Amino acid sequence: MNSLIFSLLVVPVVFSFLFLLSENKTFYKLLSYLLFAFGAIASITMAIHGPIQLEITGSAFSSMEGIITLLEILILIFLFWVSKKHNRKGVFSLTVIQAILFIYSTFFMDKHHEAIINVDSFSIIMLLLVNIIGTLILVFANGYISEYEHHRHMKSKQRMFYFVITVFLAAMNGLVMSDALGWVYFFWEITTLASFLLISYNGDEEAYNSGFRALFINIIGGICFSLGIILFQNQLDITTLTGIAAHGQLSGIYIVPVFLLCIAGFAKSAQMPFQSWLLGAMVAPTPVSALLHSSTMVKAGVYLIVKLAPAYAGTKLGTAIALYGGITFLLCSAIAVTQRNAKRILAYSTIANLGLIICSAGMGSSLAIAAAIILIVFHAVSKALLFLCTGQIEHTIGSRDVEDMTGLISKAPVLALITVFGLVSMILPPFGVLITKLISIEATAQNPFLVVLIILGSALTTLYYIKWMGTLLAYPTASLSMKSGANFNIYMPLWILSILVLISSIFIAPLYNNLVSPELKVLLPKASEALIINNVNIIAQTGSFNNNIVFIVIALIILIALLIHRTLIGNTRKTDVYMCGENVKDEENMFRAPDGTSEKAVFGNYYLTRIFDENIITKLGTVVSIALMLIVILGGLL
Amino acid sequence: MSTTEIIVRILLVLIVAPIVGCFFAGVDRKLSAKLQGRIGPRLRQPWYDFRKLMSKENLVVNKYQNLYILFYIIFIIVSLIMLFLEMDLLMIIFVYTIANVALILAAMSTGSPYSRIGASREAISMLAYEPILVFYIVGMYMLTGSFKISQLNGANAPLILYLPLVFISMLFIMSIKFKKSPFDFSSSHHAHQELVKGMFTDFSGPTMGIIEFAHWYEYVFLSGLMFIFWKQNFIMGTILSLFTFFFVIIVDNITARLSWEWMLKVTWTVIVGLSVVNILFLYLNNVKLV
Repeated sequence: MNSLIFSLLVVPVVFSFLFLLSENKTFYKLLSYLLFAFGAIASITMAIHGPIQLEITGSAFSSMEGIITLLEILILIFLFWVSKKHNRKGVFSLTVIQAILFIYSTFFMDKHHEAIINVDSFSIIMLLLVNIIGTLILVFANGYISEYEHHRHMKSKQRMFYFVITVFLAAMNGLVMSDALGWVYFFWEITTLASFLLISYNGDEEAYNSGFRALFINIIGGICFSLGIILFQNQLDITTLTGIAAHGQLSGIYIVPVFLLCIAGFAKSAQMPFQSWLLGAMVAPTPVSALLHSSTMVKAGVYLIVKLAPAYAGTKLGTAIALYGGITFLLCSAIAVTQRNAKRILAYSTIANLGLIICSAGMGSSLAIAAAIILIVFHAVSKALLFLCTGQIEHTIGSRDVEDMTGLISKAPVLALITVFGLVSMILPPFGVLITKLISIEATAQNPFLVVLIILGSALTTLYYIKWMGTLLAYPTASLSMKSGANFNIYMPLWILSILVLISSIFIAPLYNNLVSPELKVLLPKASEALIINNVNIIAQTGSFNNNIVFIVIALIILIALLIHRTLIGNTRKTDVYMCGENVKDEENMFRAPDGTSEKAVFGNYYLTRIFDENIITKLGTVVSIALMLIVILGGLL
Repeated sequence: MSTTEIIVRILLVLIVAPIVGCFFAGVDRKLSAKLQGRIGPRLRQPWYDFRKLMSKENLVVNKYQNLYILFYIIFIIVSLIMLFLEMDLLMIIFVYTIANVALILAAMSTGSPYSRIGASREAISMLAYEPILVFYIVGMYMLTGSFKISQLNGANAPLILYLPLVFISMLFIMSIKFKKSPFDFSSSHHAHQELVKGMFTDFSGPTMGIIEFAHWYEYVFLSGLMFIFWKQNFIMGTILSLFTFFFVIIVDNITARLSWEWMLKVTWTVIVGLSVVNILFLYLNNVKLV
C-alpha cells in the first residue's frame, strides 16, 4: 500500500516529464490513456483497501522537507519573475508578503521530525475524483486541444499544457493525502501556480488578465493559509489536520487561525467576494475549465473547509460560515438565471453549489456534513460532464450562447442528449445532486434563515437549467452551422462520465456507507448517526425516501414507451407548427402576413435581467459577504 | 400501513382519482358558466371531450413530443400515489417536479412560438410556486419534527392552526398551479387569448386527451396538499380542499390576466414574506404538535 500512495504522487509527475519529451500527438494520446488507466486502477485499489496512515520519519522526512523547501523557493522566484515581467504590482507585492511569511515559518519556527500521510475516507473520495475525472478530462483534451489551437492560429503550447495538467493532478493527490498543514499548503500553492499557467494558456491580453486575477486572489488565500498555520502552531501547537480534529471546538481568540484557513478555502472555491477569478478562468480552453470546476482547484477549497468542521461545528463561527455559503448560493443562482453564455451559467452554478457545500459544512450536524461530502462527489461528476459537453457544443456549432443551441437535438442528437442528461442530473431526482439538496434542506430545516436561502436558491437553479434543456430539445427554428464530426477521444470521456453519473446515483448506498459515514465518525466522533442509507431507503432522523422508486418508475416508463412506441411515435402524422396563420413552406417558423409578405417568428428565452441584474447582485454579494466576514471575526473575538 | 391497505390506496389513486378530477373539471365549467350567466355544458362534458379527443388522429410536429407527455402523466400518478401512501413530503414534491419539467420540455420541444412562450412562462411560474410548496413542508417539519405525512396522524392540532399565513400563500399559488386567471398566462381553457393554447398549442388528439387526463390526477394531487392542512379530520380536510377549489374558480371568474412579471414580484416578496413570517413565528415560539 505504501508503494501505491507513493505512486499516486510520483507517477503523474513522471508522466508530466514524459509529456515534455515529444510533440507527437499519438504519443500524447497514448500517455493520456495510460494515465487514465493508472489513475482509475490506483484510486479504485485505494478505495477497496480503505483508509491508511503512513508515518514518514528520519531521512525520508528530511529529504521530503528539503525538496518541498526548495520547490517553494522556486515557486516564489517564479512568481517574482512573472509578475515583474508582466508588470503586475499587486501580485508582486503580495508575493513579497508571502516570501516574508515563508522565511519566518522556515527559519524562525520549531521544526518537526516526522509527518503523516493520512489517507482517510474523505481523501479516498477526493482521490477517486481527481484520478478518474481529472484523467478523463486529459483524454478529452487530446481530441480537443489541437483543434482549439488550430482554430485560434496559436503556436502550439501543448507540451506545457499537458505538463502543467499532470503536475496539477499530482499536486491534488498530494494535497488530499497530506496531514501536515505545511505540506497541504505546499501542494495548495502548486495548484495556484498551475491554475495561473493554465488560465493564461492563450497568451493574449485577456488570458493574462484573467490569469493574474486568479493568481492575485489565490495568493491572498495563500497568505491567509500560511498566517493560519503560523497562528495554529504558535497558539495551540497544532500542525496537522488530524490535530485540529482531535482538538475539537475552538472559541475566543483561537477561532482566528480557523477563520484564516476558511478564508483561504473561500478564495480557492471562488466564493463571494472572490468569485471573479473563476468567471475569468473560462477564457482558458474547455478542458481547463472542466478541471478547475469539477475535481480539482475549487474542490480543494471545500475539502479544507469540511476538514476544519471539527473546529467550528456547533459554534457561532459555524453558523456564520453556513449563512455565508447560503447567501453565495442564493445570489449566484440568481445571477445564473440572467446569463446566456453557457460557460458563465456553469461557472455561476459551480460557485452556487460550492456555496451550498460550505453552507452544509457550516451547519456542522452530521447530517449536514454528510450532505456536503456527497454533494462534492456528485457535483464533480455532473459538472465535468457539462463542461466537456459545452466545449464540444462550442466546437460543433461555433458558439457557447444558449440561444444558438436551439434545436441542437436535431443536428447532433447524441451530444444534445448527453448534455440534457447532465443537466437533468443537476436538478431532478433520482440523481445525486438533488438527493443532496434534499438532505441539506432536511438538515437546515431547524434554521429558518438558512432554509429560506436554500429553498429560493434551488428554485432559481431549476429555472436556469430548464431553460437550457428546453432550448436544446426545441424544434429547430434556425439552421445551425455544423463543423467537424465526432471523435472517439471526445465522446469516450462523455460516455464514461454519463455512466459515472448514473452509477454513482444508483450506488449511493455503498458510497455513503463505505466512504462518507466513516469520515463523519472521524470529523464528529460524538455525533450520533444521522443518516442511514441502505439499499432501499435513505433514512434521516426527520424523514426517509426511497430513491429507487424513481429509478424503477423511469425504467417502467422506458419499458412502456418501447411497448407502445407504435402508438406513441410510429402512428403519428407529422404536421407543421401552428403559427396562427398560413405557414410558409420549407421555411421554418415563417408565416404569411396579411399584406402577403412573409414574416419570421423569432423566440428567445426569458433572462429576467431587469429583476436580477448581474452588476447589482455582484455588488450586493461583495458588500454582504465582506460584512459577514467582519461580523464573524469580531463576533468571535468579543 | 399493511400491504392490503397499500394496495387499496394505490387502486384508489389509479381508479377513483381521475373520476374525482373529472368531476372537479365538470363542476368548474358548470360553475363558471353560472357565474357568467350561461347555462353551461353538462357535468360530464370533460369526459365526453376526453373520449372525443382520444378518437382523433395523432398529429405531431416533433416525432418525440409524446414521449415527454408519458413522463408527465406517469410521474403525476406516482407523486399522487406517494401522497396517498403518506411518504416523505419533500421527496413527493421533487417527484412532482419531474412531471412539471417533463411538461415544460414537451411544450418547448414542439417549437411553435406560442407553446415556447407558454413553456417559458410556466418555467417562471415554477420559480414562483416551488419555494412556497417547500416552505409549507418546512413549516410542517417544524411542527411535527418530520417530513413524513404519516407523522401528522399523531398530531394534536391541525396544521392550519399554526400555519395560517402559509395556508394563504398556498391558496395564492393554487391559482397559479390550476393555471387559472389571473395567472393563466402559460395556457388556459378560454378561447381568444393572445397565446392561442399556450403550452399545448401543438398537442392535439389523443395526446391532448392524455394531458387532460393527467390534469384530473393533478387536481386531486393539489387538493390533497390542501387536505393535509387538517389531515386528522377527514371532513375538515375535505372542506379545506373544496374551499380551495371554489376559491380558485371564483377568483378565476372575477379577475383579468396579469403579467408574469407581476406574479413573480408579488410571490417573491409578499407571498414568500408571509410564509417566512409564519415559519419565523414557529421558530421563535418553538411550537410542537407531536
